[in-house]
Amino acid sequence: MLGQIAMFSSKDFLKWSDEVLEGILRKSPIGAGIDAVTKDFFNWATRNSVFFLHFGVMCCALEMAVASAPRFDAQRFGIIPRSTPRQVDVLLVNGPCSKKMKPALRRLYDQMPEPKWVIAMGECAISGGPFWGSYSVVPGLNQIMPVDIYIPGCPARPEALIDGFIKLQKIIKEGKKGLLTGR
Amino acid sequence: MAEAERDIEVAPSRVDGDLEEMVLRALKDRFPGSVSDMKALKPRILRARIERAQLFDACKMLRDSQNFEHITMISAVEYDNRFELVYHISSYKSRLMLELITTTPKDDPRVDSVTSIWGGANWQEREAYDLMGILFSNHPKLERILLPKDTMYHPLRKDFRG
Amino acid sequence: MAEMWISMGPQHPMTHGLWNLRIKVDGETITDSEPELGYLHRGIEKLCENRTYTQIIPIADRLCYGSSITWSHLYCLAVEDLMGIQVPERAEYIRVLAIEMQRIASHLMWLAAYSVDLGMYAGLVYGMRDREVFIDLLMNMSGSRLTYNFPRIGGVAHDLPQNFERDALRACDYMEKRLKEYEDIYDHSSVFMMRNQDIGVLKMEDAINLGVTGPALRGSGVKYDLRKDMPYSIYPELDFEPRWHRDCDCYARYRVRMDEMWESCKIIREGLKKIPKGKHRILAPRTAPEGTGIGRVEDPRGEGMIYVVGDGSDRPYRLKIRSPIFISVSAAPKILLGYKVADVVAIMGSLDMCIGETDR
Repeated sequence: MLGQIAMFSSKDFLKWSDEVLEGILRKSPIGAGIDAVTKDFFNWATRNSVFFLHFGVMCCALEMAVASAPRFDAQRFGIIPRSTPRQVDVLLVNGPCSKKMKPALRRLYDQMPEPKWVIAMGECAISGGPFWGSYSVVPGLNQIMPVDIYIPGCPARPEALIDGFIKLQKIIKEGKKGLLTGR
Repeated sequence: MAEAERDIEVAPSRVDGDLEEMVLRALKDRFPGSVSDMKALKPRILRARIERAQLFDACKMLRDSQNFEHITMISAVEYDNRFELVYHISSYKSRLMLELITTTPKDDPRVDSVTSIWGGANWQEREAYDLMGILFSNHPKLERILLPKDTMYHPLRKDFRG
Repeated sequence: MAEMWISMGPQHPMTHGLWNLRIKVDGETITDSEPELGYLHRGIEKLCENRTYTQIIPIADRLCYGSSITWSHLYCLAVEDLMGIQVPERAEYIRVLAIEMQRIASHLMWLAAYSVDLGMYAGLVYGMRDREVFIDLLMNMSGSRLTYNFPRIGGVAHDLPQNFERDALRACDYMEKRLKEYEDIYDHSSVFMMRNQDIGVLKMEDAINLGVTGPALRGSGVKYDLRKDMPYSIYPELDFEPRWHRDCDCYARYRVRMDEMWESCKIIREGLKKIPKGKHRILAPRTAPEGTGIGRVEDPRGEGMIYVVGDGSDRPYRLKIRSPIFISVSAAPKILLGYKVADVVAIMGSLDMCIGETDR
């Protein structure tokens, strides 16, 4: 057995260990057992540390920046901006999506790892806002990607943004999914 | 010539009144047939119309001898039977602004580019091409700047219903 | 070493707004660059041809959201020039007070974002905390925190609220104390000076020819401020000095903006002393005559200008907007040449980009 393992190349070893771990953890009752014990803990950790992408589009981006500032202080809820889409849970879109930006925005969404959520902040992301009817604005973010929370306002006040995040925390609490089995 | 002078003397007489008169007179002397409709719109803001064939030479003269070092804005307006290009040129030294208007026919919207005179005209002309479809000859890089590169239309034209 | 093109953006912590900067690097040194815009293009000029003159005021606010009162004021100036109406004096004073408060708030926002880019996170919280003082004043005046919808064609929307003079004078005293503190923090920090002095040099002739305006132009040694040299509104009666600086680098541009905040406090105090009693608005006609109108203002980012063509109806025929940052960014290839990749953040940050007005 050891001899067999020693003769594996690194790629083969990875494939073998994936199969073994899949079998033990994900598809067998051991995985479901571990999930049942740790589900609440991981869910509590996820919903109290929602990271969003440092992505500023238009006016609501200034209110997003102010929400992290001393007066409104979103960081006490665990809401911290990160610089790359691979490290975030939430894509916070705070402006209109123009036709030139559409493929880039979709690519940002695809780069985020599961589990992920999308918040549409401000009128422009909800429906095109004051620029509805323009030749170069996509009327609403839900034409490009599935949206979970809509925050109205033009611009949305920082308190409204924090309220939106708290509602997202409620959604995460109700949709508890185990990290291993995904159920 | 008398018509233009009468319009200028309506402004209150100050020392600077001579500067405005000097600029318009220099334009008229250098391009006698092509310049028309010269007047002072407000104190320190002048207007003149010029033929599009003389536009490049007029701009060069304005920069070199009349101290108009800065091009502020290039606008393209579409009317029923023509395109109008409005150049707002300012002079820091003499504190003046000149509105220079040139016209092109509807089926041939082509003018000379002034990028070699003022570098600041580069992106303004690209924008006029992108949104209105005016072609500038001798421009270093006439490409679309605000819309995606494969757009087929010019949105600010009156026959575009977006 | 091989040269290659790197693309910084459209989503990048450095870019305040959505634009793409492609730089060509040879090792760490920049040999060429090409900014790409248009990711926020909303077609405002075409939209405005279908809205009445009063309906365009909130859209003009959203052109540059960093200093939105300047843009709606600029639009009102252009339309008042077209219609030929004269605004009452009290309304002019109220507009100037709002503009100067907005100028301080915009420069503080720039300072907060700039120090985060250079790595000093404390600058963000200081700048944001002080900006809240002026945002509160503007909220009392107009009702909104960010896009105010306050100027109207013919004056302003409402008169000053109660106790405004007391609150504004208190804010000016507070701000002058804080400005002294900022000078202690930034000017005496050797890291800040190292990252700003002799970086991003833009010579005077290049600045004038390439069309750069605003603090970047005054930081290159040109003493030109539209409020003093081609004055509009009530500025001829106010006493202040345009600030400029001789070195053409990032430190000069930073210094010009800090000095402008001092001058704005002076203007606010003087305006509050001199403001007359009277009407705050006259009713403007609904339709505009045929003709053209021009408005020019000194925006915190440069020289803004609007050219409006009227055709006798209640909607404009053509509205052309000049954005100062659109032209300052086109000077980027010249400024960035020869510096290192780590300096890109400092140089583009010192130009204070607000993409809303660039892409329109």
